[in-house]
Amino acid sequence: MIRHLYIHVPFCHRICPYCNFYKHKPGATDQTAFVSALLAELDFRQHTLGIPIIPETIYLGGGTPSLLSEKHLASLLSGLTSRLDLSHLKEWSLEANPATFGISKARLMKEHGITRVSLGIQSFTPLVLQTLGRDHSPKEATAAYNHLREADISSVSIDLMFSIPGQSLKSWSETLIAATSLEPDHLSAYNLTYEEDTAFFQQLKSGTFSADGDRDADHYHHASRHLTKLGYDHYEISNYAKPQHRSRHNQAYWKGADYLGLGPGAVSTVRPHRWTNIPDTNSYIHRQNPTHETETLTPTDFTLERIALLLRTSEGLPLKHLSKTPDIPSELATISKTHIILTETGRPLADEIAVAIA
Amino acid sequence: MSLERTRNFSIIAHIDHGKTTLSDRLLEHTQTITEREQQDQLLDGMDLERERGITIKSHPVTMNYVAKDGLTYKLNLLDTPGHVDFSYEVSRSLAACEGAILIVDAAQGVEAQTVANLHLANAQNLTIVPVVNKIDLPNADLPMAHRMLEDILAIPAEDAVPASAKMGIGIEEILEAVVTRVPSPKVIGGDDGLLRASVFDSLYDSFRGVISYVRMFSGTLKRGTSIRMMSTGKIYDVKEVGVFTPKMTKRDVLESGDVGYLIANMKSAAEVKIGDTATESQRPAPEPLAGFKEIQPMVFAGIYPVSTDDFEQLKLAVGKLQINDAAFQFTSESSAALGFGFRCGFLGLLHMEIILERLRREFNMDIISTYPGVIYEVTKTDGSDLEVDNPTFLPDASQIEEIREPMVKAFILVPNDYIGEMMQLTMEKRGTLINTETLDDTRVMLTVRLPLNEILVDFNDKLKSATKGYGSMDYEHDGYEPAKLVKMDVLINAEPVDAFSSIVHTTKAQSRGRALCAKLKEVIPVQMFKVPIQASIGANIIARETINAMRKNVTAKCYGGDISRKRKLLEKQKKGKEKMKMFGKVNIPQEAFIKVLKSGD
Ligand SMILES: Nc1nc2c(ncn2[C@@H]2O[C@H](COP(=O)(O)OP(=O)(O)OP(=O)(O)O)[C@@H](O)[C@H]2O)c(=O)[nH]1
Ligand code: SF4
Ligand SMILES: [Mg+2]
Repeated sequence: MIRHLYIHVPFCHRICPYCNFYKHKPGATDQTAFVSALLAELDFRQHTLGIPIIPETIYLGGGTPSLLSEKHLASLLSGLTSRLDLSHLKEWSLEANPATFGISKARLMKEHGITRVSLGIQSFTPLVLQTLGRDHSPKEATAAYNHLREADISSVSIDLMFSIPGQSLKSWSETLIAATSLEPDHLSAYNLTYEEDTAFFQQLKSGTFSADGDRDADHYHHASRHLTKLGYDHYEISNYAKPQHRSRHNQAYWKGADYLGLGPGAVSTVRPHRWTNIPDTNSYIHRQNPTHETETLTPTDFTLERIALLLRTSEGLPLKHLSKTPDIPSELATISKTHIILTETGRPLADEIAVAIA
Repeated sequence: MSLERTRNFSIIAHIDHGKTTLSDRLLEHTQTITEREQQDQLLDGMDLERERGITIKSHPVTMNYVAKDGLTYKLNLLDTPGHVDFSYEVSRSLAACEGAILIVDAAQGVEAQTVANLHLANAQNLTIVPVVNKIDLPNADLPMAHRMLEDILAIPAEDAVPASAKMGIGIEEILEAVVTRVPSPKVIGGDDGLLRASVFDSLYDSFRGVISYVRMFSGTLKRGTSIRMMSTGKIYDVKEVGVFTPKMTKRDVLESGDVGYLIANMKSAAEVKIGDTATESQRPAPEPLAGFKEIQPMVFAGIYPVSTDDFEQLKLAVGKLQINDAAFQFTSESSAALGFGFRCGFLGLLHMEIILERLRREFNMDIISTYPGVIYEVTKTDGSDLEVDNPTFLPDASQIEEIREPMVKAFILVPNDYIGEMMQLTMEKRGTLINTETLDDTRVMLTVRLPLNEILVDFNDKLKSATKGYGSMDYEHDGYEPAKLVKMDVLINAEPVDAFSSIVHTTKAQSRGRALCAKLKEVIPVQMFKVPIQASIGANIIARETINAMRKNVTAKCYGGDISRKRKLLEKQKKGKEKMKMFGKVNIPQEAFIKVLKSGD
């Protein structure tokens, strides 16, 4: 049974210079055709996979799903509802950016079953927002947040980024204070990553930007301290939640559950297969079978992925994934009978530790 | 062509005075090469020579020249290297000749290697054809060059042919001087007609095996001749003979006086001995020709394959390279840090660099080398003596009675204005001034005694910068001298790393230790824990640095679309480690060794 469904909406108003997701400006894309194509893919997968899709979580990510017009959003959400058995659904998330929706669209989300919205605010410092190439203001970010609250979305999360060129610890701290004063149920705090094929990567290579390991660590630890003090549970490297507000959908990825991804560039894993849809919206719309690349996961692959992902979580990595219990120094990890759990010092070294023990 | 119309000569000079460029002009003038084949420094055939603009190997070439007397002469030219590290090449080339063109740069005048190479030629009683080259340069100073020829070299100025190899001035005059002044090839053994061919160089070719470069001193050599190599006693059938034009060109026969090559069935380095005499196996010469003085390498370093799997391949490669470089020596050794490799001996640092580069390029070897050093003589407290070419084998200080280091006598030719700077440099390098000889009113020749170890790495650069490029140096070995030397170890995370050990003078230990620790701090990757780097002499820590623990290395986002990428990254990183990385143990990557050992001090 497939319990987790991801839907990719690749449209963004403006392309952020650090982003390596599959996305583009809506341009001349026929939105009606796009929504139909998503629903058609769902039908196609339901027919061809031969396993029931009964979602416990649905995640509309992007790109910017909140960019869809109310009409198209409504037809997508109701199209999904009419096709799926939602009797087991516990979480239906949608990614939103400030300045792409108002109170009416927020209400529409709520009416169509969205339970959780993750709001890409990134920063409350205008200068940092400018560096990041985001076209919303801190004011618009707050307004967007308030719309979601007003529409009574049950779980609201805020996405933030840190260690951005020009961002001081003070500015990061102010962003955290501004964000937490809104009392979101969940926060994601991402270290800026210089991904290949992005403008930021070029600037890093040309020396306009410089990576700063100390700044990364300082910002990371500051966030962790600040947020845990306010009662957020640091349940994954970049994720913090108030009780009962963890992202179930993301936890499913980490644990290794199967998931179906719909939309251009979306990835699905139904063991032992993992496939990626064609990362081209136009072709996606016109194809019956949008599968682009498929890989077959061996049990070793699966184990490696668990090591890489579960070490990042507060639950830790079950020892059963390792051939022997590693002797990690106690300042980096605690080892119980069943799990390795990284300490606050160890957690930001998760990638190093994964290489060492895998 | 008869012996009377053959001339064998080398071109010798200080580095960069224009030997190879003059060779170009001679090749063109005699139409040995066509216009189409023509290119600058044609005889510098190795990529490495072309890139660095220096000659590394001697290159023979046979030319035909129609002289003013109307007769055609066969001229065998040997272009030689100018750098002091390759003087062994020069002396072997000279042994194949009766004459030498001695070039002096019209702007630089006589330099140290001019003097040294002239001495080599005189020792073999060669006829010298002096040439003052580069007269086209705006700062050429012909009267100065003439004065120096007379004052320093005792060569009459009127003998010198003024020339510009670059502009093609004086070429005909040089060729005429060779024809008229250099005697025809000497023949050994009277007219007994027995074969005597001296092997002065060799080369390994993967298709044809060993190619021996020969100078014929008597007899004839052709395909099918059964020869005996007089030092190894081995017998071979000659497969091919020929001359260099400059590429190898097959000939039916090599005759007395000729310079050319022979190919027999030799496959390995052990079969080739430079300086050996080839004679006919049925009618052998009674005595071999005088061989060459065995050359003793002075600079030593370990060469290791980057990947331990490549040891066998490296073994083949060093063996083959040795065929083409008689001065290069090696024996196998092992290092705790670097695995199996070779302790290699070189004539100098440039020689070492060239060998490393040739192994990389010609044999595709991925290698690293340890820091270059010299051979020390040690007398132990129990009275026994030993030689140490690898710091790892230096006995414990408590067992050492005395350590002696190799010394050199350096002849430094400098303008008067820079004597002070040179004295300063000499002191810095633990040297003593032995003699100051006034050469003319502007220049002196300083004779300085220095530890070899001190001039290995950067002495020549410092000499050049201290004298604004006007100073030059030649040196010869000058015995051993007791010195306060100690072994300096490097400890990384409290464990000694043998590849970084060195033998240093007590007065230099601290600065070198500091520099080394600082460099290591730069190149050793940050670990998950704090890593101390220390330099020590015995139990004494003399320098220290600390690499702070890594604070953060974690991917920011890991969701559905990122998982495969994340796994592949992990797989790749894992592959980089040979065995499971242990917590608390520092993995020093090969690149770190390369960077540190390369950067010297
Ligand atoms: N102006 C001028 N430059 C020259 C002349 N002859 C040679 N050169 C330049 O001097 C430099 C060295 O010339 P080479 O012929 O490589 O000197 P070399 O003596 O063979 O050098 P090594 O083999 O490394 O000892 C090159 O840049 C030549 O172009 C000349 O007559 N006039
Ligand atoms: S809005 Fe999000 S998906 Fe779109 S470009 Fe920016 S970061 Fe990428
Ligand atoms: Mg040359």
